[in-house]
Amino acid sequence: MSALWLRSARVVRLCEIVTGVIFAWAGLSKIGDLAAFAVQIHNFRIMPVTLENLAAITLPWIEIVIALSLILGIRSRDAARTALALLVVFTLAVVSAVARGLDIECGCFGTADASHVGWLKIAENLGMIAVAFVAVLGPAPAADRVPGVGRLETGDART
Amino acid sequence: MHKSPIDAGSNPAGAGAVLRGMALVCFAGSGLGFGYNALGLESRAGWGVPWIGHDRLAALTTEAVVGSNDGSGSSDPHVTQNSDPLAIPSGGPGAELPEIPALGRPVQIEVAAVKQYVDAAGALVIDAREAHEYDAGHVPGAINLPYDQVATDRQRLEQLDTGGRPIVIYCGGGSCELSLSLAWDLVYAGHDRIAVYMGGYPEWVDAGHPIVEGQTP
Repeated sequence: MSALWLRSARVVRLCEIVTGVIFAWAGLSKIGDLAAFAVQIHNFRIMPVTLENLAAITLPWIEIVIALSLILGIRSRDAARTALALLVVFTLAVVSAVARGLDIECGCFGTADASHVGWLKIAENLGMIAVAFVAVLGPAPAADRVPGVGRLETGDART
Repeated sequence: MHKSPIDAGSNPAGAGAVLRGMALVCFAGSGLGFGYNALGLESRAGWGVPWIGHDRLAALTTEAVVGSNDGSGSSDPHVTQNSDPLAIPSGGPGAELPEIPALGRPVQIEVAAVKQYVDAAGALVIDAREAHEYDAGHVPGAINLPYDQVATDRQRLEQLDTGGRPIVIYCGGGSCELSLSLAWDLVYAGHDRIAVYMGGYPEWVDAGHPIVEGQTP
């Protein structure tokens, strides 16, 4: 990796926490009013009507599991990958909404923010994708390890 | 632009392990979501939404149609006199009609409440199925708005005369995609107080309620 500082333990940890906090905020603000979130999903018109409620029920809690996992450092690599995948899907959803000329609430943070989809939102998402990507990469492996081996848990490293 | 490989270089275990890990996260989250939602359905309206399961397929909102047994005709959708927010009060023939709230989104309605509305002609009942299905038998008083025809005809939806009544939409049961889509189109066309009868025509017939044959008068 050329940009090694990006994979220092501190930077990675920071990225995990930032992503975790954003996801916690996103999840919690949706849980308050699932019905409203279901309507926001509907407004995107990108999935079958029958599945919209299912998404409204599960998505916020998946975000919360991701947040807890990243903040507490439990299976954080799995959580970071899921976060990245979700962010990519969300971004594509916003891009498709903008491309279709829809002027709708993003629903990214439930009803807590009334931000609409647009280029600014896409830029925000790309920023979050970058942060989540660093969290996915994780800290660089120690020099004597085979490149590509994921980091060990801190507990293991001290034994 | 954001097409970077997700597991670039840092995961020797392969795509299988990556997907398993992600599935675990999603699974845990979904489980919590369903659990929380089930709690919500048990306690009060306004918390939790119906989900796919049993015969209660994909209603759009949390608020089932709320009965007004006390005759107050409450217009607050979050006020319910019923412990189960999804239960529809059966109410005798003389009972006041259940309230279909104006929420800016469709709500779900059950067969007992539909029967009350049909008996009292208290709602504009719309059959969203194809014309030939409608002609072969439909709920008394229902008009036929085949979704395939009206979806592109926004003017027709906007000019729909409900006579100041709420709208009840049904289709052929199942996941009731037609009713749900038509309900949303009506909302976008400026109507409100729209209820979707998910059970649809098959359930209506099974319940032994009367039907009418023939074309729209």
